[in-house]
Amino acid sequence: MTFLKMTSVNQMADCLKLALFLVQADLLKQRRLPVALKQFRAGIQRVPLLLLLTLIAVGSSSGGLADDVQLPAVISFNQHIRPIFNQHCTACHGGVKQAAEISFVYKEQVLPPDGWILEPGKPEESILLQRVVETDPELRMPPPEHGNALSAGDVALLTQWIKQGAVWDASHWAYAAPQAQPLPAVSDEAWVRQPLDHFVLSRLDDEGLKPSPDASPERWLRRVTLDLVGLPPTMQQLDEFLKHYATDATAAREMVVDRLLQSPSFGERWASVWLDQIRYADSRGLGADGRRSVWKYRDWVIDSLNRDMPFDQFTIKQIAGDLLPNATIEDRIATAAHRVTQTNEEGGTDDEEFRVAAVLDRVNTTWQAWQGITFGCVQCHSHPYDPFRHAEYYQFAAFFNTSADCDLDEDWPVVQAPLDPQDYPAVSQLDREIESLRTRLWQREYALLTDADAWQPLVGMQASTNNQTQVVVNRVDDHDEFQTVGTVSRDADITLEAPLPASLSKLTAIRLTAMPLDPVKAIDDSEWGFVMSEIQARLLIPGEQQPRDLKIARLYIDEPDPFYDPQLSLDPKLKRGFAAYSRINKPREAALVLDAAVDIPPDARLSITVKHRIYLLAAFSLITRRGHVAVTDDTRFTDSLTAEEFSSLRTDLADLQRQRSAFKTVSVPVMQELPEHLARPTHIFERGLFLTKGDQVTAGTPESLPPLPAGPVDRLALARWLASSENPLTARVAVNRFWAQLFGTGLVATEEDFGSSGDVPSHPQLLDYLALRFQGEHQWSRKALLREIVLSRTYGQTSRVSAALYDRDPQNRLLARGPRFRLSSEMVRDQALALSGLLTDKQFGAPVHPPIPAGVWQPFQSGDKWQVPQPGEPDRYRRSIYTYMKRSIPYPMFAAFDAPSREFCSPRRLRSNTPLQALMMLNDEVFAECAAALAERMRNAASDPQQQIRAGFRLVTCREPDEADLLDLLDLMKSAAKEAAADSATSSNSEDGLNAVAAVLLNLDEVVMK
Amino acid sequence: MQTKSIFHELQETALQQATRRHFLQGCTTGLGSIWLGMQTANAAGDASRYLPQHAADNPLSPLSPPLPGRAKRIIYLHMIGAPSQLELFDYKPDLQRLDGKECPQSFLEGKRFAFIQGTPRMLGPQYPFRQYGDSGAWVSDRLPHFSNHVDDVCFIKTMVTDQFNHGPAQLMVHTGQARMGYPSIGSWTTWGLGTENEDLPGFIVLLSGGRQPRVGKALWSSGFLPSVYQGVQCRSQGDPVLDISNPDGVSREQRRAVLDTLSKLNQRTSQAFGDPETLTRIAQYEMAFRMQAAVPDAMDIKDEPDHIHEMYGTQPGKESFANNCLLARRLAERDVRFIQLFDWGWDSHGADKNEALNAGFRNKCEQVDRPISALLTDLKQRDMLKDTLVIWSGEFGRTPMRENRGGSEMSFVGRDHNPGAFTLWMAGAGVKPGMTYGETDEVGYTAAENPVELRDFHATLLHLLGFNHNRFNFPFQGLDQKLTGVKPARVIEEILA
Repeated sequence: MTFLKMTSVNQMADCLKLALFLVQADLLKQRRLPVALKQFRAGIQRVPLLLLLTLIAVGSSSGGLADDVQLPAVISFNQHIRPIFNQHCTACHGGVKQAAEISFVYKEQVLPPDGWILEPGKPEESILLQRVVETDPELRMPPPEHGNALSAGDVALLTQWIKQGAVWDASHWAYAAPQAQPLPAVSDEAWVRQPLDHFVLSRLDDEGLKPSPDASPERWLRRVTLDLVGLPPTMQQLDEFLKHYATDATAAREMVVDRLLQSPSFGERWASVWLDQIRYADSRGLGADGRRSVWKYRDWVIDSLNRDMPFDQFTIKQIAGDLLPNATIEDRIATAAHRVTQTNEEGGTDDEEFRVAAVLDRVNTTWQAWQGITFGCVQCHSHPYDPFRHAEYYQFAAFFNTSADCDLDEDWPVVQAPLDPQDYPAVSQLDREIESLRTRLWQREYALLTDADAWQPLVGMQASTNNQTQVVVNRVDDHDEFQTVGTVSRDADITLEAPLPASLSKLTAIRLTAMPLDPVKAIDDSEWGFVMSEIQARLLIPGEQQPRDLKIARLYIDEPDPFYDPQLSLDPKLKRGFAAYSRINKPREAALVLDAAVDIPPDARLSITVKHRIYLLAAFSLITRRGHVAVTDDTRFTDSLTAEEFSSLRTDLADLQRQRSAFKTVSVPVMQELPEHLARPTHIFERGLFLTKGDQVTAGTPESLPPLPAGPVDRLALARWLASSENPLTARVAVNRFWAQLFGTGLVATEEDFGSSGDVPSHPQLLDYLALRFQGEHQWSRKALLREIVLSRTYGQTSRVSAALYDRDPQNRLLARGPRFRLSSEMVRDQALALSGLLTDKQFGAPVHPPIPAGVWQPFQSGDKWQVPQPGEPDRYRRSIYTYMKRSIPYPMFAAFDAPSREFCSPRRLRSNTPLQALMMLNDEVFAECAAALAERMRNAASDPQQQIRAGFRLVTCREPDEADLLDLLDLMKSAAKEAAADSATSSNSEDGLNAVAAVLLNLDEVVMK
Repeated sequence: MQTKSIFHELQETALQQATRRHFLQGCTTGLGSIWLGMQTANAAGDASRYLPQHAADNPLSPLSPPLPGRAKRIIYLHMIGAPSQLELFDYKPDLQRLDGKECPQSFLEGKRFAFIQGTPRMLGPQYPFRQYGDSGAWVSDRLPHFSNHVDDVCFIKTMVTDQFNHGPAQLMVHTGQARMGYPSIGSWTTWGLGTENEDLPGFIVLLSGGRQPRVGKALWSSGFLPSVYQGVQCRSQGDPVLDISNPDGVSREQRRAVLDTLSKLNQRTSQAFGDPETLTRIAQYEMAFRMQAAVPDAMDIKDEPDHIHEMYGTQPGKESFANNCLLARRLAERDVRFIQLFDWGWDSHGADKNEALNAGFRNKCEQVDRPISALLTDLKQRDMLKDTLVIWSGEFGRTPMRENRGGSEMSFVGRDHNPGAFTLWMAGAGVKPGMTYGETDEVGYTAAENPVELRDFHATLLHLLGFNHNRFNFPFQGLDQKLTGVKPARVIEEILA
């Protein structure tokens, strides 16, 4: 069904009659509009247009009705109209499907002059309205099979909006810059503790609600400690705080918050929030999901949080740290944020397919994590309801499509990061020097290699192989090219033989050019590449039995920092060498420089053998498929082996590399750009399919958002665009995420969707206020932002809720009480370790393997072991953030408590409440050990059972037990002790029954909830 | 509705998504609130979405499906690695005649293979076939027991997929997507229907064959659905469910005493804070306690009579496909909603003995033939086949060409991955018995007649369970996510009884 340009006179007449009837018979008689509306609700859904017009007219002209009935004075497109379009219309008339070329996403397709379904100011002439109130199911919009008719309320809003001129304020709130907000007036200035409290109280005033009283200091301390550092307060901290609080509550609170923000535990708590966004895991994903060494990035996140790195810097370094001037090793480690994408090491998989998948994932994750926009839709088509065009997705993808990584099992490119962060400055300095020397050296070598005047092409070539691989030779322009035909067999040696040009009296270097089989197509659709495992060159001289070996001293190649050292082609023992690893999209060149110029006897022929020994993913032979050879007598080549300007660089470089290799390191995959001449073009993928390429695009950001900063358009520009104060989304999305962590729900509840189908903010002014504070006064300091929020009166309210308030606001969106929700999986475990005194405060380092239930760890690679440290060893009791994170075998406790397995960006966690959680907390080895240790703590705290229980109870809840709680626990203790006495097999530890008490304490609702 | 849980939150979120909670902020009374009320009412009956409404304190409370469903529960037997349809069900005499001949180029153009390179040779069926039953279905001599059941079964010979590597293809079968992170069929099912036995998980996974599927738990993940709907792996050895046993030295009585005390204290918390989540927590701890008794009971096959062990070929205490088939029947009897079996070892490339059609494949056939047959017999004799749907499949098919890894002949006989056609069969619960749907081409390479996409299969499954696949969706990342994905899917009406 589509809109058709037609109206029916008869239908209009019918409507008129019905309207008049209803108006006379019912409405005017009763003169109470709500009754009429109730009738619509009861079933008169398809309200004739004129009736509605009448309704509006009655509503707005009759003073008596105005008290009951009020449409908003000004209808807002975003607030009132766009939601109607999104719910009822954009499925067929949206960004994807634009039936009848009508899209309710784009103004110009709806409003005149190009659009024809609306007449601003004239509801009665607007076809849109006629179609939505149409009674004939053949004509009604949306068609009955696509959805229900618009409600009377919707139609009223549409009508009023058109009447007011159909103002299409195209900017969805989230795409317009945050506005400075005056602090609203409130009913009780004394209640306010932080400026942000104005916004909350003012809203409560409007709603006729009162805020809740302050939480008790004990509960406030527990809440803020768990929120800021992910651990419960110690009893000493509790006592100190209570003492201080009694004399100066404000100072006491501030002191606690400042202490917590300075704690090294702060970064450990907040890192997991960010790692959810960035889909961090210690394994590779598809295929065997093998181990990936990337924990240095996790440490970088923790450390940057602890150092309160401003969020704009935090952003820029992760997106483009490698491109920063004078990038440090840490800047490069930061870029692993986009190297934790899934790769596929399964045999027979196409590296290009999964490279592309990783690039698209980077696009989606960047949008999701920093912009709160679900950009993934745009991969296949224009966004269904937000102003992003299909091509813009690929323009954005172009920023990420020129990085060197390509789904390799080795995770290349990587940096070797020093194990000890103390070495970072020294290594950064060394790396800069190495980089600079290497570039200078390479530029000189590359200049020789690409000096066209130096080379003479070979013709008259013959080609042969050592196995079933077939090769033919074709003349192309001035040279002969060999190419393989059909299937290549593993381990092929290709031998090329050709007469040397008569004009060549001596030989100084040979140029090998390796090409894709189809050079034109390969630019866009790369082919499997090659690795020249060994290269041999010989002279065949007439009259001489034995060929004369030519000694190749070095290879000069066309990229400065290749994955494989090209010089290894000269080492017959090693399989690596000059390579396009593992894909080729453009011709590749190497100059084989002879160790000295060789005189060429007349009629000598050159023979070159290239051996290939790399076989990838149990399926693909990396063999040179096509290529040609040129030679030179230019002595600049041989001279360059010893010339000072080359050799001094080589010596210095070797020296620096020796120094560098003295550091103990661990590898980290990083982002790294391809050299410009090898960069890949980016195309639109038709319908999102990577093998169906459409138009080529260049890097850019969507038109509907502010432009990129001036200068080169690269990943760094993108990073600065994201981190800019001009960007309307970045600060809001970040602020909202912190808010959601503290309050359980974001000011925008759909943390993952700030687009037009997401939630509108519950407190829009507060969101803007905080966003501007964050990027302005706080200079993107996350600690300053958190400090402001947790010191607010709003945050400090009690979470006790009356039935009436609960019914009124079950999700606490109005913030008339304090937050109360279950702790995250990490906090549940870390808290248990802390309360039982088992937690070790060792920070950073390689992932650890705490106890895991038997039978869970069955990795595809059976050699991969989960080595559990023995009881008493520190690595058994580390904070959860350090636990080894394998995507296909998530740690069971984390999975049961809703931690995502990090395949993709997980914008927010849902919180479930299940029997498996209960089983885990009661029976799992980790928790059983915690309960036993907690019992021991209680035992050591006092000798009297009642005092033991008091101590334990206060430890886990921060408060004194009620008398009833105490008695119940004492009863349990006694009965457990009695049972232990009866059963001698029970371990001696629980003779006193305290283990049972500890199990109860760790499982209390009060303990697993904030 | 006195208690509130994540599922309320979820329902509310979904509701909000549907009604776009754009509160009329300009007016606080009058039309504004009425309008809002209408929206909410409207959303509850929103034709575009079926939203399961579970009990407040039990996210797995049993629900009737929105449409009349035929299948009350599903047992899915997945042969991990993709068994060769050409050696089991898809009989191709023409392929026999082509055996050893070079593969025509037209078969290779535009195709991507995992391992085949250049021009491979055709490979005839490796085992003799015969027709069985009234339906005359062809089955090879590798499945002598199963062949007695062809009249109970509906074969689909023309399953197609777009994935030719195991990990992505297995994900396609179980989640409808080729990447990790999406809910599996079992999760959709338990989200939609809950489960009738509160003392057992609603979605149970059993593994055999010695190895896990390579993408592991992603195959029974709840994806973006709440984690309570993820599959629970049960084991024949050790704890049948993780942490189901009390720690050493804790008796069931002692656990009861702990829970009683815990419950008392939590009740007080509930009164003090008024948070319904606390009551939900109390209920979950009680359910856990009941599970501790019910799960080991269900998982212990020792008490089965000898003739049953004989029929299945089971050995108590061993991890085997046979044991898992018997467990599947026991769990089905106890009204577990979705029972997923994975049997590893069907990747018959011919690269080594274990994965050769002329060696390892025989063993695999032997391991599954009797148990599958026994399962069908057993369900039938208990009159459970009428509302239990049994499904058997791999993740793709295998090529009619012999694999020539690296471009040369291999010492064992095998076939490469073929997404173009594979066989899946279903039995019971509203599926036509004794039927074959779809025909492959003369060599079993592509779906010639009535191809069935995985999304069509998924739509059909949901239909059998009582759902319209288009209306059974969950809002995530800006899209109403469906098991069947964004492309149109159709219910295969032809195979419905």
